[in-house]
Amino acid sequence: MEQFSNNTIDIKQLPRFETVAFQKLEPNYWKVVLINLFITVAILSIGLGIVYYLVDEFRKEAIYLVITLGVIIAITFVFSRISFVKKGFAFREHDVLFKNGIIATNTIIIPYNRVQHVALHEGWLSRYFGLAKVEIFTAGGSSSDIKIPGIEKEQAEKIKQLLMGKIQQQL
Amino acid sequence: MIASFNQPQRQSKVGILVMFFYSLQKLVRVFFPLLVLFYVKSENLNLLLVIPGLFVGIALLAVFAYFQYLNFTFYIDEENEEFIISEGIFNKTKTAIQLEKIQQVNINQSLIQKIIGVYALEVDTAGSAKKEGSIKAISHNLALALKSRLLDNEKKVLQDYSLNLDVPPIASQEPKPFIKISLLTLLKIGITSNYLRSIGLLFLFYSYVQENLRNFSETDYLDGSQLDDFFATQSILRAVLIVGIILIAIVLVVNIVRTVVKFFDFTISKQKGSLLLSYGLFNTKGTIIKPEKVQITTITRNFFQRKMDILEIKIQQASSGELETKKDVTEIPGCNENEKNDILKLIFNTIPEKGVMMKPNWRRLGFSFFLGIIIPLSFYFGFGTYLEPLAFDYAFVAVGYTIFVAIILIFSYRNNRLFVSDNYINIQSGAWDVDNRIIEIGKIQAVTTSQLFWHKGPDIGSLTIHTAGGDVHFSLGNFTTVKNYVNLWLYTVETKNINWM
Repeated sequence: MEQFSNNTIDIKQLPRFETVAFQKLEPNYWKVVLINLFITVAILSIGLGIVYYLVDEFRKEAIYLVITLGVIIAITFVFSRISFVKKGFAFREHDVLFKNGIIATNTIIIPYNRVQHVALHEGWLSRYFGLAKVEIFTAGGSSSDIKIPGIEKEQAEKIKQLLMGKIQQQL
Repeated sequence: MIASFNQPQRQSKVGILVMFFYSLQKLVRVFFPLLVLFYVKSENLNLLLVIPGLFVGIALLAVFAYFQYLNFTFYIDEENEEFIISEGIFNKTKTAIQLEKIQQVNINQSLIQKIIGVYALEVDTAGSAKKEGSIKAISHNLALALKSRLLDNEKKVLQDYSLNLDVPPIASQEPKPFIKISLLTLLKIGITSNYLRSIGLLFLFYSYVQENLRNFSETDYLDGSQLDDFFATQSILRAVLIVGIILIAIVLVVNIVRTVVKFFDFTISKQKGSLLLSYGLFNTKGTIIKPEKVQITTITRNFFQRKMDILEIKIQQASSGELETKKDVTEIPGCNENEKNDILKLIFNTIPEKGVMMKPNWRRLGFSFFLGIIIPLSFYFGFGTYLEPLAFDYAFVAVGYTIFVAIILIFSYRNNRLFVSDNYINIQSGAWDVDNRIIEIGKIQAVTTSQLFWHKGPDIGSLTIHTAGGDVHFSLGNFTTVKNYVNLWLYTVETKNINWM
C-alpha cells in the first residue's frame, strides 16, 4: 500500500496557469500570414481588374468598390497582426497551454494525460520558411483541439516527442 | 509471412488507381453542376478544345495521384510505440497515434476498392468524430496483419486494466429491475415536457392565421369602415383562440402518445455495475450505461415537473467508434427525486453535492438583451421607418415578442448558475426547462477560459469545459474565481489518473 495522505490543498499554492510566460510564434510565421493575405488580395484584385476591363458600367462605381476593398484589406491586416501577436503557447510539466483571440483572449489548456494523438502539419508556404504546425487532439472533439502554427520544424518535432513522451509516462 | 511495419512503407501500387478515382470522384462531384451548365449553355462545343482539355485534366489527376501515392507512407515506431502516417504533396501532415490509444481498426472496401481489389484500413481513437488515420489501398493480408499488430498492444493494456478493475469484487447477479417507470409518470412527462415547442407551434400558427387574415381583410374590406374591420378581426380572433386551444390539445395528445410509445415499460436494472435500460411499446429497445463512460449527466425539470416531483435525466457517454456523428445520449424520461438519487449513486457512487455557487455577472443579462431584443427591435424600427411603414401595423407582435423574450432572458439569467464541489461541476441553465449538467472533474478533457478585453476591468470571463461527451459553457463569471477553479481542476486531472472512459 502506498503511503496515503489526504491533506487539504491550499488553492493559493497551486501552480497558476494565468501567470505562465507564453512563448510567441516565430517571426517568420508573420511572413507566411502576410504572403497568404497578399495572395488573396492579388486574386481579388485580378478579378476586379477583369471586371473593370469588361464591364463599362462598373467603371463609374469602381472607386467605391476599391475603397471598400481597401478598408476590408486594412481591417484584415490589422486583425491578422493582432491575432499573430496574441497567439502564444506554453508547455508546462503536465499540460500544454495555447492562447489566441482577437477581441477576446482565449486560453485552452490540455493536460498531457488527455492527449489522444499528435500531428505535424506543414503548409507549402510554411515549409519554405521551415515552419510547422503542431496539432494536438483530445477526445473532446474539435473544439478542444490545439493547433499551434508557426513553430520551427525542429522544435515542432521536439514538441511532438515531448508530448508522446508525456503520454507514454502515463502507463 | 510475418509482415514488419517498422520501416515507412507505401500503399499497394494499385493504390494509385484508387487515389486517382477518388480525386476524380471528388472533382466531378464539385464541378458536376458547372459541367452540366456548360454543356447545356453551349450547343456547339468545340470538340477540338474539349477533348484535349479533358486529356490534360486526366493526366494531371494521374500525376497528382502518383505523387499522393509516393508521399503517403505509414509505419509503426516500435521504440515509441506509435503508428505514424505521413501524407500530402504540397501541404504535408504527419500523424502520430499512440498504439495504446487505438480503440478500433476497421477494414473496409468501397466499390472502387472492390473493383481494384484492395482494402481500406481505418484507425479510430476515442472521442473525436473523424477517423484519425486511414490508409486507402492495402492488400487484405497486409491489412489483417497490420490490424492485429495495431490492436495487439491494446489488448495488453485492456487485460491489465480489467485485472485492476476486478480488485473490488462485484457480486454478479441476475439483472433485477430496480426502477420501473409507471404509465402515470410517462403521462405526466407527456403533459409537462416539450411545452416550449407547443407554445412555439402555437405562435407560428397564430402569426400564420393573422397574416392570412390581413391579406383577406385588405382585399375584401378595402373601402370598408374601420368598424367593420374591427368586428371581422374580433370574430376571427375568437376562432383563432378556439383553434389554438384545439391545437394545444393536439400537441399534448401527440406528446403523450409519443412519450408512451417510445418509453413504455421503461425498466432500469443493474448488472455488474452497469445500468441496463429497456423500453418501448412496440419494439423494445435496450441501452447499456457504463458508469465510467458517462461524461455529462443532465437533470432537467420545469416548474410543473417540480410540482409533480418528476424529472428527466439525460446521460451523455463517451462516443466510441461506431456512433461517430451522433453523440451517445441516453434519456431516462421520468423519475422522482429518490429514483434520481439511486441512479446518480449508481453512476457516481455518491450523490454529487452542489457545492459553492457562482452567479453570472449582470452583463450577461445585458448582453443577451442586446442580442435578443435591441438588435431585432432596431431592425424592426429601421425597416418600418425607411422601407415599409406598414410594418408598424404589426406593432403588437413586436410588443409581444419583446415581453416574451424578456421574460425568457430574465429567467434564463436567474437560473444560470455554476456549482463547484470537490469532485463535481454542476452547471445550471435554462429558462423554462432548467438543466443541471453534472460533470465529474476527472472527466475533463480540456478547459478553455475566455475574456473580452473590456471585461478585464470588471474581472469577468467565460469558461468552457470540454469532455468526451461534449462541451459545457458558463458565461461571465468572476474571472479570478474561474481561474482558481481551473487551476484546481488541472491539478486534480494531472495528479490522479482517472479512467475517463
